Amino acid sequence: MLPRKLQRWNNAFHRDLGYLFFGMTIIYSLSGIILNHFKTGDLKHPDYSKSYWEFDVPVPSGRAVDKTYIDNVLTIADEKGHYKSHIFSDNSLQIYLTTGSITINLQSGSAFQEKKKPLYVIKEFNLLHYNNIKKLYTWYSDIYAVALILLALTGLFILRGKNGILGRGAWLTALGIIIPALFLLFYT
Amino acid sequence: MVKKVISFAFILLFVATGCNHFTKENVQQNATDTGKITVATFLTNAPDWINKVIVIEGTVSHTCKHGGKRMFLVDGNDSVSVEITTGPDIVKFDDALVGSRVRISGLLKEERIDEKYLSEWENEIKKPQENHEVGVHTGAKGHMDQTDQDKLDQIASYRQDLKAAGKDHLSFFSVEAEKIEELK
Repeated sequence: MLPRKLQRWNNAFHRDLGYLFFGMTIIYSLSGIILNHFKTGDLKHPDYSKSYWEFDVPVPSGRAVDKTYIDNVLTIADEKGHYKSHIFSDNSLQIYLTTGSITINLQSGSAFQEKKKPLYVIKEFNLLHYNNIKKLYTWYSDIYAVALILLALTGLFILRGKNGILGRGAWLTALGIIIPALFLLFYT
Repeated sequence: MVKKVISFAFILLFVATGCNHFTKENVQQNATDTGKITVATFLTNAPDWINKVIVIEGTVSHTCKHGGKRMFLVDGNDSVSVEITTGPDIVKFDDALVGSRVRISGLLKEERIDEKYLSEWENEIKKPQENHEVGVHTGAKGHMDQTDQDKLDQIASYRQDLKAAGKDHLSFFSVEAEKIEELK
C-alpha cells in the first residue's frame, strides 16, 4: 500500500484529473457508443439518423425526365421545397434532397427514399472522437489518453482496507483485465 | 458561483457544437480557372496534371461515412465519378454536402495499383478485422457494405484489367482538396 502522505497526493491527483477530463470522458463515451453501433451495422451513419421508404411513382413518358416530372415525384414524397439536384444512372434517377435522397427506377417506377436527420451534438462529438480536427487537438487528445491511464492507476490506490486494491479491488481489477482477454481469445 | 461556472462550460460546449460549419470554413470565393478539369474529361486529362493543382466542379454523390475523409463528384450522370480526399486544412466532408454542387481546388494524385498491392489487399481482407484504409474506393453505391467476397471479386476484376492493359500497374486518380466551395 502507499504511505498515507503519498496516498493523499494520489487521491487529490485522481480527483482533479477526474474533474478536468469529465467533459472529454462524456464526449468520448457518448460518441464511442454511437461509433460502436455504427461499426456493428446497427446505425447506418454515425452523424445522421436515417430511415427508408419505398413507394411507386409514374414512369416518365418516353423516359423524359424534366422539372415537372421531378416536381410530381417530390409532391408524392411530400418533399416539395427540399430539392437540391438530380443525376441519372443507367435506368435510374437519383434526386438529392436537403433531407436525403430518392432513387427511382425509370423502368418500373419503384422509388426508394432515404431520409436523414443530423444527430446534433453527437455529430460534433464524433468529429472530436475521430480527431478530424487534427492540429493542436491531437496533442490535447493524447494528453487525455495519458490522463485516462493515470486515472486508472491512481484509482487503484484510492481506498485502503478490505475494499482496496489488496482486497475486493484486486478481484474486480483482475476481472476487468480477464473480460477483454476472453473476448480476444474467443473471437479472434 | 460554482453553478454558474459549470453552466457556462456546458453552454460553451453546446454553442461550439451548434456553430460547427467545418465543411464551409475553407471556402474560396475567387477560385482560379487555372488547371480547370471537368468531371467528364477527368480520366482523360488527369495523367497530365499529376501532383499539380486543379479546379474541378461537380455534384457530390457520396461522402464516406467513416470519418468523412473522402467524397465523390459526378456531373449529370454517374458514368464518371471523381474521388476527392480531404487535404490538411479540411476537417471532413459532411454528409450534408451530398447533392450539392461544389468547386474543389486541390492536388491531383495518382495511385498505382499493381500485383503487389492487390496481393496485400487480398491478405488484408482475409484477416479477421477489416481495414477500411486498404483497397480502392470507387464510390459505387453500397461500396461501404461490400462483403469480403465482393472485395475479392473486385481484386480479381482488377487483375483482369491489369492483364488486358498489358501494363504492370493500373492508375487511379483522385484530388486532395485544399479548398471547397459550395455553389448555389
